[in-house]
Amino acid sequence: MSLILRNIVGKFHGCQCRLAKFSTAVQSQSTENQEVTPIISKRSYIDEDRLYLKRREVWLENLDTVDAKKLGLVYLHPEVYGAQPRIDIIHENARWQRMYRYVCYDHTKTRAEVRGGGRKPWPQKGTGRARHGSIRSPLWKGGGIAHGPRSPTPHFYMLPFYTRVAGLASTLSVKLAQDDLHLVNELEIPTDDPAYIIDLIDARNWGPAVLFVDDYDIMPKNITMATDTIKHVNLMPVYGLNVFSMLKHQTLVLTERAAKAIEDKLVFHMNRTDAARAGRKFRLSQY
Amino acid sequence: MSWIANSIRTAIRVWTPQLTSVRFRYHADKVAKGPRPRRYGYKEKAEIRGLLPHIISGKRIPMPVYKPKNVWHEKRALFGQNDYIDILGNEKLHPTRILYDVRPWLRGVNGNEYQVLLRKRKMYKNGLFPIIRPTKWLELQKRIRYLYKFLNRKTKTGMSNI
Amino acid sequence: MATGKYGRELALSMLRTLPRVTLGNIRNNPGSRKNPKRGRGQHGGDKHGAGNKGSGQRQNYMRLGYETGNTPFYLRFGYEPYYKGHHLRRQYPPLSLKTLQMLIDTNRLDISKPIDLTALQNTGVFSIKLDWKHSGFQLTDEGANHFKAKINIEVQWTSEPVIAAIEKNGGVITTAYYDTNSLFSVVDPETTFRRGEPIPKRLLPPADCLEYYSSAATRGYLADPEKISYERLVLAQKYGYQLPKIEDDPDYEILTMRKDPRQIFYGLEPGWVVSLKDKAILKPKDEYLKEYYAS
Repeated sequence: MSLILRNIVGKFHGCQCRLAKFSTAVQSQSTENQEVTPIISKRSYIDEDRLYLKRREVWLENLDTVDAKKLGLVYLHPEVYGAQPRIDIIHENARWQRMYRYVCYDHTKTRAEVRGGGRKPWPQKGTGRARHGSIRSPLWKGGGIAHGPRSPTPHFYMLPFYTRVAGLASTLSVKLAQDDLHLVNELEIPTDDPAYIIDLIDARNWGPAVLFVDDYDIMPKNITMATDTIKHVNLMPVYGLNVFSMLKHQTLVLTERAAKAIEDKLVFHMNRTDAARAGRKFRLSQY
Repeated sequence: MSWIANSIRTAIRVWTPQLTSVRFRYHADKVAKGPRPRRYGYKEKAEIRGLLPHIISGKRIPMPVYKPKNVWHEKRALFGQNDYIDILGNEKLHPTRILYDVRPWLRGVNGNEYQVLLRKRKMYKNGLFPIIRPTKWLELQKRIRYLYKFLNRKTKTGMSNI
Repeated sequence: MATGKYGRELALSMLRTLPRVTLGNIRNNPGSRKNPKRGRGQHGGDKHGAGNKGSGQRQNYMRLGYETGNTPFYLRFGYEPYYKGHHLRRQYPPLSLKTLQMLIDTNRLDISKPIDLTALQNTGVFSIKLDWKHSGFQLTDEGANHFKAKINIEVQWTSEPVIAAIEKNGGVITTAYYDTNSLFSVVDPETTFRRGEPIPKRLLPPADCLEYYSSAATRGYLADPEKISYERLVLAQKYGYQLPKIEDDPDYEILTMRKDPRQIFYGLEPGWVVSLKDKAILKPKDEYLKEYYAS
């Protein structure tokens, strides 16, 4: 009985969602442009016959007008953009990014390094004073520090390769699930005025902090100049993308090419035959 | 026999004279007089109540002015860029190879003070460091010598899980 | 749960209504990180799980093998070095015919080309550890009855039933020796090429296995080809199968490809330098180099 009920409720819910989507789509498209033929972008993958979930469907938007126009649909790989949202793995990745480059330069001098203190300050016996052997003992004011920080203290550790792959997939999936990941066709904007980007982000309810990602590291001139003075709107190539930046910026905007480049890379790593070699333990002498 | 004891007890009770106590000290007076002086003649040097700092005399320790750091300064806005370059970019590059803001001999290094100093000595011994920083070099050598003795003679191996 | 979603789908749909995941609200699983400091607070003055006094706290265990005054067991008898020099002996990690067939069936190995150590290594399934004194693969006879591929394979050690199983299907097998230096190049050619070093010359086998590699019965790479064809016939009669004729085979070219005893890659000779960046091969010109690398 409960099974039937659940089925019915499930179907009802699905209808609702579909209805809601239909209505918004009609509103935005009917006012803007009717002749546009929608782009439907779907690719085949090497692990196509083993996909557990359906491909993730994402609207393809534009950047050349302030208000969003929906240009079409892009189907994305479910293991990359619909991975299990592991908050713990995301946390491990963000922590690793902070720690692996962190070297603490705090320093204190020990009793041996503080200047002076070689002479016994007063005789051992007969003065009525406490016995002391050096004026630089840690008990003394101006003496050395026992167990103090010693510079440099590296906090380096290497997160396993496949934890980092999973961290990227988890973060991308979380961003997509929370409507914080948007796909655009390209990063060309009509003007180099920062106000345009501000208006655009405002109109689309993005941000405030937005990270634009393209697959090539030489970005279009207009968007580079427009975002140059806005500190919280940043540009990044695909190879620079990382978990920390995705979390720091509220919205992630990928070009379609970038989304596919990320997909290609991550799907390759998830299915490569020499995974054991890629995931082997980090040894400093090897790199 | 209990009746005898009972009658004696009643007789004593009857004969007990009634006393009325006269009070000269009242609690209200004590409260009105204020707190009792303690440690007369002693002046408190520190302010016990309230927030820090507690120094009454002398110069007050200044509270640091609250200066929020610019969280969108370029180095923070792009923090972590290229950390996944071996996954998303060139597989031959390892993230430890491009930590340009860390000193070259510390990139990808972890370990205790002794191990780090040994690496530093190995990297610097053939350069100018021993010649232009003789005192630093001597301190380094002394510390390594001390740590070698300490770790090998005073500590046990594999006991560091405290 | 009314949506009928489970697992990952449910988690992703829940995230839609949950607050945005940011740097400020992520955390690790509880208990996944052990505090490096000893607990303070309520039970900070207790024994921290080490018990009351004694070896629990001090870890003053007796040294290994010490028997409180008896002559220890390990000193009671004379020294009998059964494993003397075992760390210097060559190891041949096994590769069964069953695995080989599976690699061929799953397209990890291309049988239209000769299979050698490099091809096996490129499957990504095996690892040759030079510091474990690995010297190549030994082909074992597990799954010999189900082996059906016609291949030209070169391994480092093998046995008679394996040779029979391969030759029955019309294939050929060679056993070849690689010294440590050339083995490194064979299992990881990319590193060798990237270093810009010339391809090394393969050394001849040491005395203890020279006989194995020059024997026709074991299909050694130093054996006389005439004797090998004789031994092929002998083996076919011993195991009772019709020996397929290699001369009439359409894959005659592939089946008769062999490496020179000094050569370690098919198509590349020792002394050549391969530049991956320029996609070029540099060959030695000087006479003394040619003389050194000559077979």
